[in-house]
Amino acid sequence: MSEPALHIEDLAKRYPTGVEALRGVSLDIVPGELFGLLGPNGAGKSTLIHCTTGLAQPTAGSIEVFGNDAIDDYAEARQAVGLAPQEPNLDWFLTVAETLDYHAGYFGMAKRERRERTDELLETFSLTEKRDERTRTLSGGMKRRLILARALMHRPRLLILDEPTAGVDVELRLELWHYVQKINQEGTTILLTTHYLEEAEQLCDRIAFIAEGQIVARGTSAEVAARFGVSSLEDAYLALVGRKELSRSHAELEVAP
Amino acid sequence: MSTAQIRFATLWRREVNRFMKIKKQTLGAPLLETFLYISVFGAALGSRIDKLHGIDYVVFVIPGLIMMAWSINAFTNNSSSILQQKFQGAIQDQLSSPASPLELLLAFSLGGFMRGLIVAVLTFVASSFLVDLPVDHILVLVPSLFLVGFFFSQLGVLIGVRAEQFDDVAFAQTFILTPLIFLGGVFYSAELLPEPYETLTHFNPIYYMINLVRYGFVGFTEVSIALSLLALTAATAVLFAINLRLFSAGYKLRA
Repeated sequence: MSEPALHIEDLAKRYPTGVEALRGVSLDIVPGELFGLLGPNGAGKSTLIHCTTGLAQPTAGSIEVFGNDAIDDYAEARQAVGLAPQEPNLDWFLTVAETLDYHAGYFGMAKRERRERTDELLETFSLTEKRDERTRTLSGGMKRRLILARALMHRPRLLILDEPTAGVDVELRLELWHYVQKINQEGTTILLTTHYLEEAEQLCDRIAFIAEGQIVARGTSAEVAARFGVSSLEDAYLALVGRKELSRSHAELEVAP
Repeated sequence: MSTAQIRFATLWRREVNRFMKIKKQTLGAPLLETFLYISVFGAALGSRIDKLHGIDYVVFVIPGLIMMAWSINAFTNNSSSILQQKFQGAIQDQLSSPASPLELLLAFSLGGFMRGLIVAVLTFVASSFLVDLPVDHILVLVPSLFLVGFFFSQLGVLIGVRAEQFDDVAFAQTFILTPLIFLGGVFYSAELLPEPYETLTHFNPIYYMINLVRYGFVGFTEVSIALSLLALTAATAVLFAINLRLFSAGYKLRA
């Protein structure tokens, strides 16, 4: 049996402020899976992602990426992970092409390979004409595309997308989802957080709900919905956050003659 | 090149590229500033002061100015680069890479070191056209300048990591570093100061650095060269160890 793409066990994170962002999270994502991590703001999604990618230090627990430790002896694990963070974190001094080139260099890619991969991804994400422009001049949508391209530069086996479509227009959102599905079909494992529940339902093989730093449900979207005794992922989410009255089926019943 | 070599070269290249993109500010301005000092203190005032310890005043001043240029540029570059990348979140790209704390620290350190080196070398070359600047003890001069550059690179990294706003960096530079450098004897000999200022100068670590560099150039010193080199090496090693510990712990870098 192959190693899980991501194996998290009893992960805890307490910030210096005293906030317990993660309280004993355990999670397995199998290779090739498109896994959705859903939950309200502040539930612990980004903290879990930061712990996995080295941007936060876990207080307790373990994380393995394809069988490699991701906390202490992290080099192999990090090599396998690509991160597209929620907040655009581009260096204003760099051009679009430099952003990709430097990122690939951090992962040890040779010059010729970096150049070819940069050209390929700029083309894929319609950024070729912007290659020599500084990142601060890009529109919000272009920044999103560049962040995704950067995450893919070193050909990660596990791609982590932290709300990749937050604040982008419908056209770009669909474009990004199509690309995400394509690379998933080509074998890249994907961990996705999003607030677009319908899309998570359509795209993800399995889903986990996280609330107050704990995984409260996991499985296929049908299994998660059943866990809450409802028929859709959206209703399960509303049940999770204690806002059942906002359910569309509830509203339809109320307006029916 | 191995994967690790490519990674380190890229981290270092990025830091150098940052200041090379704004050369007017990062190289041009400090060069102009140094020349204004040479013009005012060396040429204008120097013509009245004549000699200090048997050395032309302008020649006495230039070694200190070269040291000052290297130290301030190394410090400023690293402190502002790290803070700016923390502020933008851009530093996450390096922090989530396979790079080790040691690789990250060295790359950030060498960015400022290179900027200081370039400004110092250009100042030296240009000064050599204006005055007859000797190099009496190159075996003391080169290690002294490299140690000074590395010490201030480390100091810049430390302040950049600890800083939470640009005011923190400006405070360290304006209220601590610059007064220490100016009062460390760049423009005068401490032996000429009245008490208690002469004694107080001996508590300023930069006084020893200036003397090391001045000895390397013109052969004059007011302190023990061996002891100063030893103390500077020890201080640089301590700063480096502190920074490595901060990078390993992710202090104010990782959540």
